[in-house]
Amino acid sequence: METFFDAHQRATIEAAMARIIPTDDQPGAKEAGTIEFLDRYLSGIDFIYAKPDGSGFEKLETRRAEAWRRRIEILRAKYVEGIKEIDQRSSSRFGAAFISLTAEQQDRLLTEMERATAPGPAVLEGQAGFTPAEPALQQTSTEIDLDFFPLLTLHTRQGFYSDPIYGGNQDRTGWKLIGFEGPESLAETHAGRFTTLPFFAKEQVDWMQEKNHGPQT
Amino acid sequence: MIGCRKRITAHKRKPERADIVIIGAGASGATAAKVLTEQGLRVVSLERGPWCKRETFGGDELANVNRYNLWPDPILNPRTYRESASKDPKIELFCPVPQMVGGGTVHWQGWLPRFTENDFRLRTNAGQPSGTTLVDWPISYRDLEPYYTKVEWAFGVSGAGGVNKYESSRSRDYPCPPLPTTRYGRKFYEGCRKLGYNSFPTPMAALSRPYNGRPVTVQSAFAQQHGDPTGTRSSALSVFVPDALKTGGFDLRPDCYVHEITVDQRGRCKSAVYQDADGDFIEQEGDIFLLACGAIESARLLLLSRSSQFPRGLANGSDLVGRNATFHEYSAAVGVFDDPIYAWAGGGYVAASSFEFYEHDEKRGFVSGCHIAAAGVGIPLPINWSLPDRPMWGAQVKQIDRDYFNHTFAIGMVLHDMPQHDNRVELDDKVTDAWGLPVARITNKIHENDLKMGRWVIDRNAEILEAAGAKKIYRVYPDRISGNCSHQHGTTRMGDDPKSSVLNKWCQAHEVDNLFVIDGGPFPTGTGANPTLTIMANAWRVADYIGARYNSERKPSYQRTQF
Repeated sequence: METFFDAHQRATIEAAMARIIPTDDQPGAKEAGTIEFLDRYLSGIDFIYAKPDGSGFEKLETRRAEAWRRRIEILRAKYVEGIKEIDQRSSSRFGAAFISLTAEQQDRLLTEMERATAPGPAVLEGQAGFTPAEPALQQTSTEIDLDFFPLLTLHTRQGFYSDPIYGGNQDRTGWKLIGFEGPESLAETHAGRFTTLPFFAKEQVDWMQEKNHGPQT
Repeated sequence: MIGCRKRITAHKRKPERADIVIIGAGASGATAAKVLTEQGLRVVSLERGPWCKRETFGGDELANVNRYNLWPDPILNPRTYRESASKDPKIELFCPVPQMVGGGTVHWQGWLPRFTENDFRLRTNAGQPSGTTLVDWPISYRDLEPYYTKVEWAFGVSGAGGVNKYESSRSRDYPCPPLPTTRYGRKFYEGCRKLGYNSFPTPMAALSRPYNGRPVTVQSAFAQQHGDPTGTRSSALSVFVPDALKTGGFDLRPDCYVHEITVDQRGRCKSAVYQDADGDFIEQEGDIFLLACGAIESARLLLLSRSSQFPRGLANGSDLVGRNATFHEYSAAVGVFDDPIYAWAGGGYVAASSFEFYEHDEKRGFVSGCHIAAAGVGIPLPINWSLPDRPMWGAQVKQIDRDYFNHTFAIGMVLHDMPQHDNRVELDDKVTDAWGLPVARITNKIHENDLKMGRWVIDRNAEILEAAGAKKIYRVYPDRISGNCSHQHGTTRMGDDPKSSVLNKWCQAHEVDNLFVIDGGPFPTGTGANPTLTIMANAWRVADYIGARYNSERKPSYQRTQF
């Protein structure tokens, strides 16, 4: 099984993701398939790490497998509860299911959920991967400490911008949007064929000449 | 055996006694293994993590930056942090370093500046700010200089000697010229030049030309926090481990987690007791024991090794093990530019540096200073790139990503945090790791000197960005030590006086003569520069000393090294 959500859960999360990275004159989360990314992530521990040559996914074993089983269980519970909360808010405020609300109503509801979120310690301390209070410098979030809403925004971003092998960023939608000239595939990086040298400075500093008086530019 | 609380597995054969047992096969452990095996000693290395071959690494931001592919998984290997003893510790990924063969040199991009002469006598030069335990080092730049050169030439460091005008004298230039200039590097040089600041290409653990049979480093975007599938970056894994294996005297055992160092009746180290991949407990005896687990984990292992002779932990009669811990802090000013920067080029850390604010200057109102360098913003890859005022979701986020992802870079600082007696590593009394051992609990309160340095340097970095033409600038002032540098020092400081230090100047425990600590733990101060070059140079120095003495005792004709 490569999915976790039921049809209602999946449609609700997909709709929320479409507001988190909306479609404008360029594609957004919906076109990139971020829901595929997330549904697959939550399906178990078979899609945690792509094999570095892109030939499939790692089979996790022993303690590592245990840790990931535990993490996925925790995340699933957060999603189940979070979707219930979306349902409740949607029905009490608008008397309709989230997916049938207008984009503006959906935004209003998500804004309320964001405000209700007690930021986890990771968010407060600027270590969350997605919404740091300061640039995410060298740290990443401890994912399971995040509340539902920051978690959903984090996973939307991950699904939009991670290597397409994980099921999102389809047709390199996210990378094209921001101009990241990433590798054709994981195999290209693995084989050492992916290079960023075309994006270095055009004119190089001649350090032999500059040796004793610092670089002239 | 005294003190060992583990039941040794009976059905496995006890391994042969080694000359040298090194615990940890990262930057310092692999350096020492190379030096000691090349001197003919039989070295057993016990590494708690896996031995990953380069084929297992890849260009995958999600796996490596967001899913703990190289970093310790906080579910298995948590740490706890609190600001002071009166606060409740919280589980945190404090100061993560890959726990595997190669250690921190697997995930780094390898900025390798040398410390300067004044780093070793800062207390003499600048005094001791109130509340700190700032001291001079028991060794000088001169003691390390030959070993800096050895490491630089073994690694093939790329750089330009003499361009950094604040660098102390060197006996030899770098073996490889600087790496190609990135756009962020170029902007930095422009800004510095306008302000009259000296700048230089950051010396790096990467090859700008073929060197010692190794090809030029591939400039992938996936470097910082990623392992290197091409094996072309220089690391303990790609250089020192193969060097040690070549000798035939190196027994490297991955997935062997040392739980305790036992002592004999005389209080000397007798064995390392470890759990292997099958979960069995094995006892490894040896003549000399080298701790090379990183300053947090080495202190933790000493504290775990309690015995009747050492009830507070091995070599801890002074109660100094774990104290005076320093971690640096990385913070930055971030600039937005009209023209594209592509700060992911080279992985974001093919950098340009300045030591203009490195040396102490009392006019600034704080002690010491630090290395600054131009780099990408955080991990400047699609998932993890960010700007300080970007909201969490919605149309505006998409617009910011689209407009600025390729148009920003940071000028970072390596904050020299002051050593303090109560900033320490201890054993947590509640949280255990997946092996059932108490985890490291970090207590750390940022010092006023650190805050002042942070504010002053970030303001200077912002001025450089402005001079380089930034149209918008963010200043991120450090307000706590979060461990985001993955640098660790000071927990077993070296010194001449056993009352105020754990180790002597040879990094040998004052209380246990066959015990050495060779990671960042011996550093009395963290300094304002990236530590790993100095960690490796110092490990080489100590290993040279141990090897010469060991051989002279075995072969009396050998020249005996003097203290």
